[in-house]
Amino acid sequence: MRIDGSHRYWAAATVGLFLIGVSVYVAFGVYSPSGPRGGNGLGLAFGIAGYVLMLYAGLLGMRKKFPVLRIGRAQTWMRGHLWLGLLSFPLILFHGGFAWRGPLTAILMLLFLIVIVSGIFGAALQHYLPRMMTVQVPMETIYEEIPHVRQQLRQEADQLVEATAQIDVEHDDKVRFRELYQSRIRPVLEQPPPELFAPLRVAIPAPLRETLDDLENICEEQRQLNRQVRLYHWLHVWLLVHVPLSIALLVLGGVHAFMALRY
Amino acid sequence: MSVQLTIDGVAVSVPDGTTVFDAARMNGIAIPTLCHQQNETPVGVCRVCVVEAGGRVLTASCVRPAENGMVVSTNSEKVVNARRTLVELLMADHPSPCARQRQSGDCELETLARLEGLGEPRFPKRLSSRGQDESSFAIAVDHEACILCDRCIRGCDEIRSNNVLGRRGKGFNAGIAFDLNAPMGNSTCVSCGECMVSCPTGALTNRRVVETELHGDPVESEELKQLRYFEKVSGTFLELNRNAIVRRNFRKGEIICREGEYGSTAFYIVEGTAQVYLSTPIAHVKTSGGASGFFSRLGSRLAGRKQDRRDGETDRRSIPIDAPVDLPYDSPIAELGPGDLFGEMTCMSLYPRSATVQAATDCVMYEMLRNVLDIMQRNKTLKAQIDDNYRRRALEDHLKSVPIFAPLTEEFIDSLRASVELIRYNKGDVICRQGDLADAFYLIRIGFIKVAEDHPEGELILAYLGRGGYFGEIGLLTEGRRVATCTALDHVEVVRISKDDFQRMMDAFPDVRARLESVAIRHQEENRQRATVNVPLNQFLTQGLMEAQSLLILDLEKCTRCDNCVRACADAHDGITRLIREGLRYENYLVATSCRQCRDPLCMVGCPVGSIRRRNSLEVIIEDWCIGCGLCAKNCPYGNITLHPFRVGAEVKKKATSCDLCTEHAEPSCVYACPHDAAHRVDPNQFFMRRA
Repeated sequence: MRIDGSHRYWAAATVGLFLIGVSVYVAFGVYSPSGPRGGNGLGLAFGIAGYVLMLYAGLLGMRKKFPVLRIGRAQTWMRGHLWLGLLSFPLILFHGGFAWRGPLTAILMLLFLIVIVSGIFGAALQHYLPRMMTVQVPMETIYEEIPHVRQQLRQEADQLVEATAQIDVEHDDKVRFRELYQSRIRPVLEQPPPELFAPLRVAIPAPLRETLDDLENICEEQRQLNRQVRLYHWLHVWLLVHVPLSIALLVLGGVHAFMALRY
Repeated sequence: MSVQLTIDGVAVSVPDGTTVFDAARMNGIAIPTLCHQQNETPVGVCRVCVVEAGGRVLTASCVRPAENGMVVSTNSEKVVNARRTLVELLMADHPSPCARQRQSGDCELETLARLEGLGEPRFPKRLSSRGQDESSFAIAVDHEACILCDRCIRGCDEIRSNNVLGRRGKGFNAGIAFDLNAPMGNSTCVSCGECMVSCPTGALTNRRVVETELHGDPVESEELKQLRYFEKVSGTFLELNRNAIVRRNFRKGEIICREGEYGSTAFYIVEGTAQVYLSTPIAHVKTSGGASGFFSRLGSRLAGRKQDRRDGETDRRSIPIDAPVDLPYDSPIAELGPGDLFGEMTCMSLYPRSATVQAATDCVMYEMLRNVLDIMQRNKTLKAQIDDNYRRRALEDHLKSVPIFAPLTEEFIDSLRASVELIRYNKGDVICRQGDLADAFYLIRIGFIKVAEDHPEGELILAYLGRGGYFGEIGLLTEGRRVATCTALDHVEVVRISKDDFQRMMDAFPDVRARLESVAIRHQEENRQRATVNVPLNQFLTQGLMEAQSLLILDLEKCTRCDNCVRACADAHDGITRLIREGLRYENYLVATSCRQCRDPLCMVGCPVGSIRRRNSLEVIIEDWCIGCGLCAKNCPYGNITLHPFRVGAEVKKKATSCDLCTEHAEPSCVYACPHDAAHRVDPNQFFMRRA
């Protein structure tokens, strides 16, 4: 999601809540003889608040699974996910008093750190990459359609070369052009190197250059599709880290809460 | 009294008044000719039949009467040279091989050129084409191949007394013309075929509908000629088209055609009766479930207007179909009998079948292709019968099917029967032109018309009207001029009610007047609003987006290509998305494929049952009697209409659906489900004006 001016209220609210949390934490640290700990009342309150926010952030995935349910606009959920998820991190730090004492809590904090960092990384990617994709891939297509489009482009290129039979040039030139296409262009049609066409252009007679231009356009479209695939992967691949670890964090967080309260 | 003369050294005697051409022919001497036919008055325009008859110049034998003592030479060197030069000149202005030469190898000019041993003409060909006329379904006109022999004109005038053909232009620009130089298909030509039979070249040839093969018993031309509809049609023409009309025998219960199927033929019932009905449920796609509970399953079902009344839904009590009758909304079934013709729109404009026709008894029908249908419809006898059938059986239903005319009494409609006219128009014909004096009111019986206003910047399309639609009322109500131009989009038949009859109707039925006036005022207001739209962005306009009333746009700088919008749309519509995340781009916005409620809704053109139309709010609505043929989906230039399958008994029936803007919800599902604030539904004018 692009972080723009429309986020200002969410940002202000998050900062406000964070400052309140800091004030309470500092006040508690100063006036409480045992200092802030997860087991005492305020620490527990920080823990519950932090975990609730984490759960809320985690529910975004469920929200997306049921897109038409009228339980709030998905973008509101996403804003909440971003800002309240971020807020949950200092609250959990306040809950633990910036210390992780057992192996489970250590793992939890590590997971949380990774989830938060991957989330920030993902948000940054989603902020910048859509614009990059829009500018760099004007011929963008639906991601799932890319193999089909590639196949169409291959066929189109083959047909273009076949159509040179109708062009009024020497037969030998046509044969040479076809050989050139088969040996130098077609094998690299999906990964065309830069400057592939400049040297070829001088080697063929003028009537065939229009076909070469068309082939160059096809290669350019292929390049754009490659770029789209790369950017699309970047846009979504971080979720492979963020989502499973978030689930693990929520589950282990629940285990941690149960064990702490039970024992 | 006889005349004595010598032809090529042979003394001959012929009756007084005989032409030299006939005198030679009667004595076994053949003189080549192109413009002369025995059954037509000789005119001597081609000059190929020139002979030497002792005068200073050669003479055309077809018009020169034989005289006593005349010495005629038909093959002297001078004659042969003159003839060769004439043929060579004609060949220089003739596409060789012409259509007739290609079809049957008997172009008279090319045959003559071959006999004269002529090769490539020495004379230059004309640089500009004289053109072709493909407006007739029956006869192809190639002006390029015309040698101006006038045989067609004499055939039309003298033999058939139709007086349609004549000459146009002068000298180098001369040619044949239909009426006042109208395209043949739009002229008063009755397609008798005489001109084509008379033509010595490929200028007028039979136009076959080659792509269709009819299954049935071929009908001999003699049999057809015995029917009064075909009695004036040239036998040669019928012979040439013998595979374009067949006799079909249907057993009781047999399906003759099914709704939604594509076809290219019309049926004329000779014997027996047939039922015409719609098997597709009379209902629309109703998507519901989302508004009542968070976890209720969303689904689409079929609902008739009694169960689910939609805003702007019509109150029509009958469903227009491609037959002489309309079907009642509540029980869409009717009967057709001998003399009824159905499938005209399918045949002439290749629209899908509008209804299913099943033989109610054993039936005999003629199934015909459009060249034959065209001939039949141009036949005065049949046209009179169709008109009469319409006046007797369909006029009342037709008028009353338009809610505004519901108050008309039977007595009044009876009084209209004799005076209304049924008029045919071909594709592109202007029925009435903006600015002309309003002289009639029109009700559409068959086909589609475009209503457009002329503006300095170009044409503004106000509406497409199909069967049951009407136009021309604004000019008459204001007793002024036409406010828009109405043009036939395909083969159109309209019922013309004259100004006097219309005024009589208005005087007798103040209710109708009041309703018409209120509709007219509303239309004028809508048109004014459309005309005043500011169009600031050329690129935007060229993409056709300005046509839209509402757009789904995706801000590509925010969109992460997660396709949640598409999934949401599918979720909201029983798993069938009406949205595809692809489309035109404008700046950083992608105009996604979803219904744009276009100002120029091409989807409405051709609907065989007229079920897709606009609500008053200008949104597109698909009425209950959609037969799921898919033509609207095909016509939509943006691919925004989908067909939703439903199981009805053992069959799967389809209903067309388009984006319904998720009207049950405050916000469309796609926009609601976008987590990145990238999807927006906007009014294009306001949105892009802000951008500009």
